[in-house]
Amino acid sequence: MNPTLGWTELPGKLAGRPLEEWNAAYAKVESYFNALRIRNKVLLGQLVALVIERALRRAPANPQRAASELAAEEMDHVVTEWFAEVLHEPPTNRDQMLSTRGRLALLLADMPGKWQDQFLRPGPWPDEFVRAMRDAYLRAGPDFQLSQMAPRPLHLGPITTLSSIRKVRYSKMIGIWILFAALLIALFVLTHR
Amino acid sequence: MSTARSHPNTAPAGPDPGPVIVNLPVLRRGMRVFLFYSCAVLLTGVVSLMFADLLWRTGWSTSRTLLLVLFIILFLLVSIGCMHGIFGFLLRVFGDRARITAFADYQRQPIADTSTAIIVPIYNEDVPRVYEGIRATYESLRATSQLERFDFFVLSDSTDPDKWIEEERRWLELVRDLGALGRIHYRRRLNNEGKKSGNVRDFLNAWGRRYRYFICFDADSLMQGGTIVRLVQMMEANPTVGLIQTVPALVNAESLFGRIQQFANRLYAPVFIAGLNYWTLSTGNYWGHNAIIRTEPFMQFCDLPHLPGRKPFGGQILSHDFVEAALMLKENWRVWFAYDLEGSYEEGPQGLIESAQRDRRWCQGNLQHALVLFARGLRNGSRIHLTLGIFGYLSSPLWLAFMLTFCWIRWSKVMSDLSDITVQSYWLGGLNPTAHAFLIFSICMAALFLPKILAIVELALDKERRRAFGGLLKVTASAVVETLFSTLHAPLQMLWHTEFVITILLGMGVNWGAQNRGADGTTWRYALRCHRWHMLIALVWGTLVVRLDPGVFWWFSPVLAGMLLAVPLSVLTNRSTLGRRAGDLGLFVTPEETHPPEEIALLRERLWKLQAEGALNPRPANSGIADAVLDPYLNAIHVSLLREKRLNPVYAEQMNQLNRPPAEMQTLAEKLLAQGPAALPASDKMRLLADPPTMSWLHRQVWMRPNQTLAVWWQMAIRRYAR
Repeated sequence: MNPTLGWTELPGKLAGRPLEEWNAAYAKVESYFNALRIRNKVLLGQLVALVIERALRRAPANPQRAASELAAEEMDHVVTEWFAEVLHEPPTNRDQMLSTRGRLALLLADMPGKWQDQFLRPGPWPDEFVRAMRDAYLRAGPDFQLSQMAPRPLHLGPITTLSSIRKVRYSKMIGIWILFAALLIALFVLTHR
Repeated sequence: MSTARSHPNTAPAGPDPGPVIVNLPVLRRGMRVFLFYSCAVLLTGVVSLMFADLLWRTGWSTSRTLLLVLFIILFLLVSIGCMHGIFGFLLRVFGDRARITAFADYQRQPIADTSTAIIVPIYNEDVPRVYEGIRATYESLRATSQLERFDFFVLSDSTDPDKWIEEERRWLELVRDLGALGRIHYRRRLNNEGKKSGNVRDFLNAWGRRYRYFICFDADSLMQGGTIVRLVQMMEANPTVGLIQTVPALVNAESLFGRIQQFANRLYAPVFIAGLNYWTLSTGNYWGHNAIIRTEPFMQFCDLPHLPGRKPFGGQILSHDFVEAALMLKENWRVWFAYDLEGSYEEGPQGLIESAQRDRRWCQGNLQHALVLFARGLRNGSRIHLTLGIFGYLSSPLWLAFMLTFCWIRWSKVMSDLSDITVQSYWLGGLNPTAHAFLIFSICMAALFLPKILAIVELALDKERRRAFGGLLKVTASAVVETLFSTLHAPLQMLWHTEFVITILLGMGVNWGAQNRGADGTTWRYALRCHRWHMLIALVWGTLVVRLDPGVFWWFSPVLAGMLLAVPLSVLTNRSTLGRRAGDLGLFVTPEETHPPEEIALLRERLWKLQAEGALNPRPANSGIADAVLDPYLNAIHVSLLREKRLNPVYAEQMNQLNRPPAEMQTLAEKLLAQGPAALPASDKMRLLADPPTMSWLHRQVWMRPNQTLAVWWQMAIRRYAR
């Protein structure tokens, strides 16, 4: 252990924080690497230790912040910086696309299956791995060939008349019904003479 | 009959002399239509005269006029069905050259310069089943060595956040498994305007021009690769054809109901469809799936207009397929049934209630076709398809009206206390009224059952098919049981369809509630809820008829029995244990069960494996949003696909409209983190899921924030990733 880190300045504390707090930080970082499907226990332990070590270094300068917060922040830095190196893209604070692209590349390049030992390792990396990472790109479909379908007018024939009935004024409708009733009455009168 | 298995999968090697178009003698389509419908009308005319004669013998009345009119309409529909059976039987026994598969030597047709999209529009479907169907079709197509001519598109319209994420997750798993990145695509629409037809239109607007043809799948479709290749070859060999519809065989049924329907479909459909093809020829129809479509004319002519007026008739056309075929035909493109092309499959409902739920959707669409029926320029063939589709549902209230009118006539006679003084029949002089009535009844029964008998006779003449169905004896026994079952099922369908027609005409919906399924099908309680009115109607009606005339009661007994036994019928036929037991006895066996094609075997095997692994178990609520936020890979896939959408200007505009201002989105996201997904309505969850920056931000925040600042729900979700 490096005594300058001040890890053991007080019993039961590490870098000024209770050991339980570091335990929680360790669990969170480990969970994230589990989520990235790092299955090898030795590799997993090394990666978590790498992140926790960076958090421990920062801890004395940030006494107001929780250990798990510092560890998560370091985890994010470590991973994003590594993506920037592998993908040859400078990290940007503008959005999270580098992280998103990096994670997608890890999956498409099959890091969890083929390249676990390369994850977060400093370069140079095998050409095949770098190529797989840099070529990884997800498409929802091939290039668009945009067009615009439009319905052709369809004359519905007699239905058009029926459907336009609602446009007829109520006064007109009442008039038609009165005429119809008059016709029935006339028929009745004529046939009962 | 040709089968997919009997053909090689690809065009034979060697010098290609080009397609050979078979020049058939003039098909005389008009003559065929005339002959077919003349037979149906003639049969209807003769039997209707006999019926009118019977009614006349007991004295004419207005109610008898109504009864006669109803009889004529209903018997015409029965006799059209009967003619389909007779003509189909004759064509299958003596051969039929007038079919799309016989027009050109299409199997020699090269398809090297073609491109075809296989599209699978989905809407909150059973996600594993959809993808396993695609997997089986994809692998079958790969075996034809023609895979590079095809692209697959899963076109999602899902509105359930969990389904959306599961679709993305399984899509990536599938493309990784098959090495099909860039060949199987996934896109989800931001809004599901226009439902399925709008979904297809959206695909065509974005990518349609890339593909000469597209094949539309349903969520439960499955096709053999060889069949797909043959459809493309057929299209290439017949440049005036706009659409070829295959006749999908029902497969994979497990419940007794499903197996009965599947058996009936496989046994009777070939005869019926051959009869249908007799008069339709190049004026066939489209059933919305398992069909190949020529993209250019479809895009040009088949976009659906909105109908004037309000719902239920006006607005968007719900059953789009019939109308699309009619519009294609209107512009002189041909539409054919490839009725003898095998290797096209779909799955059917597994219970009476599910079947009725599906009918409810179709009923409204078919009734709506009444508005299109008289549209100018439509071909008469299209008008017949539309009319038959409408009467598919309208016949139920007419049957009910027929029976009620009959009861009314009997009731008025009993109430009037008049004695029956019958007169001599005009042309059946030797028969007394009872024998006269029995003769008409027998003819009606013969017209109803003749197609079934002919289908069995046709099967008996075909050794290979006979064996595939498990032998003639078992087929006959199955057909008898199927007939008994359909006799009990028909009155239920009549009541349901009547209810649908009435509620649709009144602009109302039918409340089904959530489907309540136990481990093995419909539960007793749910069946009782769905069928209580059917049983009550049977009890009241039965009691009245017994009091009215016990003799008439026995005529009505099969109808009343179906209604009265609805609950046990519904529950028991939905059981897969009974389905399996029937299979063990050799009942309802289909060729796909005795000799499962590779695609079906693969699909079933994969689904069993997923079931055994627990991958088909229902996932907990909000698992989709948990995965999309927490899982580093799923989050990346989801955000990447969302960003991809921005490349399409239409989507970019929709996304801008959909998303709330950043501050409001931030508030929503904070609420999600602090209170968990249960605190947000589905619409807000969908908004968050549709916003790429917010989804990236959420992923980072949920992992970086101290656990105690997150909702307990998130803390639990993170714990899933701990070892």
